[in-house]
Amino acid sequence: MTFEPIWNSLIAWYLFLAGLGAGAYITSSFLAWRHPDATAMRKTGHLIAPIAVAIGLVLLMFDAEAGLHNPLRFFYLLTNVGSVMMWGVVFLSVFMVVSVVTVVLDFMKRPVPNWLAIVGVVLALCVGAYTGALLGVCQTFPLWNNALLPVLFVVSAISSGAACVLFAAVFRHADEFNRVGVLKKFHFCLPIIELLLVASLCFITAQTNPAGAASVAAMISGDWAIAFWLGLVVVGLLLPTALEIRLLFFSSKEFEESRPAHYISAFSDLGVMVGGFLLRLIVVMAAVPLTVAMPLL
Amino acid sequence: MTRYGMLINTRECIGCYACRTACQRQNGLEADIDFIRYEEIETGTFPVVGLECVPIQCMHCEDAPCAKVCPTGATYVTDDGIVRVHEERCIGCKYCMAACPYQVRVHNPRTGVVDKCRFCTVEASEDNPMCSCVEACVTGCRIFGDLDDPESDVSRAIVELNAQPIMGDLTKAKIFYVR
Repeated sequence: MTFEPIWNSLIAWYLFLAGLGAGAYITSSFLAWRHPDATAMRKTGHLIAPIAVAIGLVLLMFDAEAGLHNPLRFFYLLTNVGSVMMWGVVFLSVFMVVSVVTVVLDFMKRPVPNWLAIVGVVLALCVGAYTGALLGVCQTFPLWNNALLPVLFVVSAISSGAACVLFAAVFRHADEFNRVGVLKKFHFCLPIIELLLVASLCFITAQTNPAGAASVAAMISGDWAIAFWLGLVVVGLLLPTALEIRLLFFSSKEFEESRPAHYISAFSDLGVMVGGFLLRLIVVMAAVPLTVAMPLL
Repeated sequence: MTRYGMLINTRECIGCYACRTACQRQNGLEADIDFIRYEEIETGTFPVVGLECVPIQCMHCEDAPCAKVCPTGATYVTDDGIVRVHEERCIGCKYCMAACPYQVRVHNPRTGVVDKCRFCTVEASEDNPMCSCVEACVTGCRIFGDLDDPESDVSRAIVELNAQPIMGDLTKAKIFYVR
């Protein structure tokens, strides 16, 4: 039989935006704890979080057509406690509430209590990990059915969330952007960890069974090869790493705080976000099920 | 307990696709939706080769992965072991399609609901003749019945013909194949 991917780019966008929103909340909380004077950046991150997740959820509803036509059916989403998707709905709903409350507190110029930020960060991690576990429990797809995926998606979520906050800061709060050195260093490390995880995923999955080998082949040398090598590896992982090494370790302070350096940094952040989306798109679309690669054992 | 299952004897299957057409009619499916698909597999080594036609449909697994992942509880397993779909609960998230190891869940492009074989033939009787796959099969290669009853036609045929689920113990499938 020929195999059509079950989910399409709508789901990849959703996985990306949910991760990005979760990552933006984590970034903002990190800013609150490590760079408390970067208030404008922190508020930007708080604002990005619910907006990104909400857009993602709308896309998700458009993909779930039967629910779109009969919206009341979405209430059944809380019935099967054994389903990862049910847990995803719980995490996403509570995270939305917490992040909206955070935005409201910011607007009222009231401080965000520490406990709320901690709850938000924990929920954000759950949202990020859930997007990986959602695919991970499908035992017939070796590319998904492994413990690396939730970790990879969490790292990529934090990475793209931080990239989004830093990207916005370049254009709106350049003065604060210059003062968040620790955040930038953490942000620099993430694509490197991600590269390691992507390489591990490819090496291990390729050795599992013919379906795993076919999935990895589709990624690295098949239909998705250009998106994988050029989009994910070069633009999404290597280029940001190279640019940030140049900016963080081989630049004078004047250059680092100059406008051209800001634009280089924004370009690198854009690359990270492109990579974050392509990672999900490729993982969702390139996966081949066992029954197709080796029909009827 | 009743535990419904089916035997499909692919050695007698001639690949006429009558079961699929009957199923579409019985269940009121439109032409682009089918609960049965066919795998055509080359067997042997040249020049001694054959072509095997294997009809694949919902296996009504005891460990149904589709029911496990279904977030709304739309897919469920009845007491007599039939995996069914509450259409009015399905949101069309397609998670069951991803979880099914046999790729037999079918997305209805008009309603968005994800459907599948309903083992509708369970309703068939002398008084209620049906147009199900079992009734329509010209070579009689499908037998339906209670797997928990050792005297049922299906149980006896499984033992006699040494029929096996298509992927071994995976998901405890209840369709047994003679190949």
